[in-house]
Amino acid sequence: MNIRVYILRRIALIIPTLIGLSVLTFSIARIVPGDPVGLAAGPRATEEIKEALRREFGFDQPLPIQYVSYMAGLFRGDWGESLYTRRKVVSELRAFWPATLELTTAAVIIATLLGVPAGVISAMYRNRLPDHVARVLSLFFVSFPSFWLAMIFQTWFGRDLGLFPIGKRLPVLVSPPAPTTGLFLIDSLVQLDFETFLVSLRHLFIPALVLSFGAFASITRITRASMVEALEKDFVRMERAIGIPYRVIIFKYVLRNALIATITVISLNFGWLMAGAILIETIFDWPGLGLYAVHASLSLDFQPIMGIAILYGVVFSVVNILTDIVYGILDPRIRYG
Amino acid sequence: MAERHPHPKSFPHKEGGTSSPVSSPSLPGGGRGRGMGRSQTARSARWENIARGLYRFRSNRLSMIGLMMLICILLIAVFAPVIAPYPEDAAGKTRVSARLQPPSEDFAFGTDKVGRDIFSRVVMGAGLALQVGTVIILLATSIGVTIGAISGYAGGWIDDLLMRVTDIFLTVPALVLAIAISAALGKGIINAMIGISLVWWPGFARLTRSLVLSLREEPFVEAAYGIGAGHMRIIFRHILPNAVSPIIIKMTTDFGFAVLTAAALGFIGLGAQPPTPEWGAMINDGRRYFPDEWWIATFPGLAIWLMVFSWNLIGDGLRDVLDPRSRR
Repeated sequence: MNIRVYILRRIALIIPTLIGLSVLTFSIARIVPGDPVGLAAGPRATEEIKEALRREFGFDQPLPIQYVSYMAGLFRGDWGESLYTRRKVVSELRAFWPATLELTTAAVIIATLLGVPAGVISAMYRNRLPDHVARVLSLFFVSFPSFWLAMIFQTWFGRDLGLFPIGKRLPVLVSPPAPTTGLFLIDSLVQLDFETFLVSLRHLFIPALVLSFGAFASITRITRASMVEALEKDFVRMERAIGIPYRVIIFKYVLRNALIATITVISLNFGWLMAGAILIETIFDWPGLGLYAVHASLSLDFQPIMGIAILYGVVFSVVNILTDIVYGILDPRIRYG
Repeated sequence: MAERHPHPKSFPHKEGGTSSPVSSPSLPGGGRGRGMGRSQTARSARWENIARGLYRFRSNRLSMIGLMMLICILLIAVFAPVIAPYPEDAAGKTRVSARLQPPSEDFAFGTDKVGRDIFSRVVMGAGLALQVGTVIILLATSIGVTIGAISGYAGGWIDDLLMRVTDIFLTVPALVLAIAISAALGKGIINAMIGISLVWWPGFARLTRSLVLSLREEPFVEAAYGIGAGHMRIIFRHILPNAVSPIIIKMTTDFGFAVLTAAALGFIGLGAQPPTPEWGAMINDGRRYFPDEWWIATFPGLAIWLMVFSWNLIGDGLRDVLDPRSRR
């Protein structure tokens, strides 16, 4: 099958899943036993004010009608309005999303840069000291509650050693680069503003490092396992027999064969870290979706939560499709069908 | 299993793993199956696998360390009221005269903003964390195994439907949905556990489905069907018992992460509410005082790490038991 047809078909297949997701988030939001309207209206609101709010948000309509109008809104790009801030969910997501994307992507890159070499070394020194060290270290770090480790690192590297800023994306006095993508690193590079680039890199590093620990163990494990499997293939024996240096075999042939499984795990981790970012952001005052999500969930503000869940669903599905495309580039034997 | 084992030498029995070390003595030494009752063969084969698994597990030093750590935590949890110097602090007794004390002889881990002993609260929280993890895993397993077994056994449109539902849950990272569900149900540790279980089952459903799909084709299932066993009997008496070990291993490897997720909800403020000695909520409590009164948040965090680390060490070894390819 042609790759273009394949991608189009994959995109078409996301749609029923996302419709299902919207049903799911809608049901979660509407089985609320609490009283979101009462909470948003404040303790002194009279029954009339609450009634008016309810009518304004359509909570007085029958559930199927509420759902249909919510769905119609989703397609029109109207994802509802926050009960709390009274702003459009779409514009808030647009404002907060780039920060989370930047943090998550940086964490995935760090986890890959740490995890893949650790896995390769583990496989090369199988059941010897480096292997055991890599294994214990990865389990050691993945077991920390990320939000706690974030506090500790913030204090050590930010306050005590003064090596890194303790929070936010940029210092108060530095104005962010003009938004093209909203990712400060890319925007500042595009505008050749290297100073802002370095400053935001320093702000990004510690949060991204802490977040990356969550993915380190699974990436190391899968890289090791698939490297070990690839090392036992006949072609490795043949290549060694004809005298190709071991390092060349490892990096040119074995790693490439082993990376398919690793890339699957990396793309799964992207989704998990995107969720983990919620916790890290609250510590580093990182102005992303996390702070927004936590605040919304504590104040029973469900339009933003539904919006975040659907956004995460879309992003995760897109990442999965991209992964499939990367497979084909890495391994030409893979046929799309 | 025995035939597919890549390194029979690693098993300590001379017969290369074809005879069972723990089954009835009437077993002939070399082969299995021929001339014996079917159930006896099945049982001895299962015992053989368990014995092999135990051997592999015991030979993994790290996992044994994890197991010992977990046993210690379990003992601490059981004897918490005896170990904790101020067990009543877990219930929220305050001691305003001794608020925000650094670690000392009286208060090994210091005291919090209302003078409660952190050490006592951390110790008393061990049992809670274990209970929370157990409830989440058991609930998620029962939902997931049921859906996965039905899906794999029934096939056809039922399978399609159930797997699409599973996919919907898998499209969104678990933590996000768990936050949404717990928020909707209302703050509290029980609701947090329900919320996490409701997003945790898809992994178990996928695993069970794949196990059932392959077991369904086995001759003994056909035989059971042939002698007139009903669907329920086939699923529960013939298929699921053969799928137990991978499921138990997933339960173990997931346990630590379930504890972490529950702590995360406690930290956000959706899970356990004060004065419950839940470690995540205690970290949230100590956050305002960090790093000047560092002890309030530091010790509960270390406790979480210790429990999760011990489960992960155990899980790491168990995974190798299931999949010998993963570590060789």
